[in-house]
Amino acid sequence: MRKWRCRNCGFIYDEALGLPDEGIAPGTRFEDIPEDWYCPDCGTEKQDFELMDY
Amino acid sequence: MTIAEDLARTIIDPKSYAKRELADAAFARLRAEAPLDQAVLEEFDPFWVVTRHADIKEIERQPNIFHNGDKSTFLSPRDGQERVKMLTGGEPNLIRSLVSVDGDEHKALRSVVFPHVTPRAIKPLEDQIRAIAREFVDHMLAFDGQCDFAADVAFLYPLRVIMTVLGVPQEDEPFMLKLTQELFNNADPELNRRRAELSPDEMLKSLWETTMELENYFAEVTKKFRAQPTGAINSLIANAKIGDEYLNHRQLMGYYIIAATAGHDTTSNTTAGAMWALAERPELLKAMQDSPDRINAFVEESIRWEVPVKHFMRSAVEDCEIDGRQIRAGDWLMLSYQSANRDETVWADPFEFRIDREQNPQIAFGYGVHVCLGQHLARMEMRILWEELFKRLKSVEMNGAGERTISNFVCGPKHVPIRFTVN
Repeated sequence: MRKWRCRNCGFIYDEALGLPDEGIAPGTRFEDIPEDWYCPDCGTEKQDFELMDY
Repeated sequence: MTIAEDLARTIIDPKSYAKRELADAAFARLRAEAPLDQAVLEEFDPFWVVTRHADIKEIERQPNIFHNGDKSTFLSPRDGQERVKMLTGGEPNLIRSLVSVDGDEHKALRSVVFPHVTPRAIKPLEDQIRAIAREFVDHMLAFDGQCDFAADVAFLYPLRVIMTVLGVPQEDEPFMLKLTQELFNNADPELNRRRAELSPDEMLKSLWETTMELENYFAEVTKKFRAQPTGAINSLIANAKIGDEYLNHRQLMGYYIIAATAGHDTTSNTTAGAMWALAERPELLKAMQDSPDRINAFVEESIRWEVPVKHFMRSAVEDCEIDGRQIRAGDWLMLSYQSANRDETVWADPFEFRIDREQNPQIAFGYGVHVCLGQHLARMEMRILWEELFKRLKSVEMNGAGERTISNFVCGPKHVPIRFTVN
């Protein structure tokens, strides 16, 4: 499972946790989130998230 | 170790931001010698000065540890904080707005407006904003070759845009501009409520009067939009509920006030600063006209360059470590966005205005959950104005000395005299 960070505000989408409040189940891959989804903290669009390196 | 008193006094002095090179030089020294250290000054509670981009991001990414609303959200002397508590019935901030609340309350308040200001939500406003931009470009060109770009254009165009979005009638714009300037430019005798040099006590008094005047105005706005709701942002605020209850008086007023003041003043400052930069760099206008696809880079660089919000304060709620320094619960921290946007470890030539930066992670809008709510609208309206202006301008240069507001909080150029020719 990977994590993706919003380049604009630093919000982290963690695939393991999903976003149950937004109907995105734990385990949902970033690629499988609808394309019109946006950062819940700042509104930045999905394409402006970056994969976090560990 | 603490920060040398002369440096600490320089970075809190409103006059240092009017002569920006003074603040820039002090912050450059701090980034090199004491990037995260405490200022200890007699009239203030001690506070950490956070100067580096990475440290501010790390702090803003942890809103559960670093609160906005436990103490004053902007730098304020100890006496002033006590008086604010007396005026508000115990709250540390005169205005209870999005920037001074935390946790669930912040989340609930932010969600009232947030879905309406995302990039997708504001896209349908593009044509309307372009029409406003053209009106103000025509207004500027009617000055026949010279104007004060700050007062004649930059203060007015973002004001018209935000008031349109909020649902404020055009005839109320001069009132909103005046009160905004009083609120943010309290230390500047040219713009504050008394039009005079004020003591700290007088400053607080005049701030309170301005706040009460704004509250009286917005009380009528609430009545109007509850009687007849519309899609305007002020109507959303008037009719918003947390649970089953309307926002309480402090939340309502704080929301109206921040939207109607910060919603244009910051963009005005950035727009005026960008024109100042253009007027001093003849090659920049030509570069923009040769490469219109760099418009977003120009806007982003002007935000980094002008950084209209100079600082916000945070307070730690638990012990933690930032960049090897031990922060204790209760400590107060000044996040200097001006310093972070000049961080030499992030930008090559941070004191140059450049539109060819491959990356520009400027932090003028803040970071994390408190990142500016109106940032996408601000970017869009600036892009549109410059698109329209670059089509018409042939040349521009300074026509005298520019002047910056005397303030250490939300500020920027107040006079940008220019001479220009048109195509």
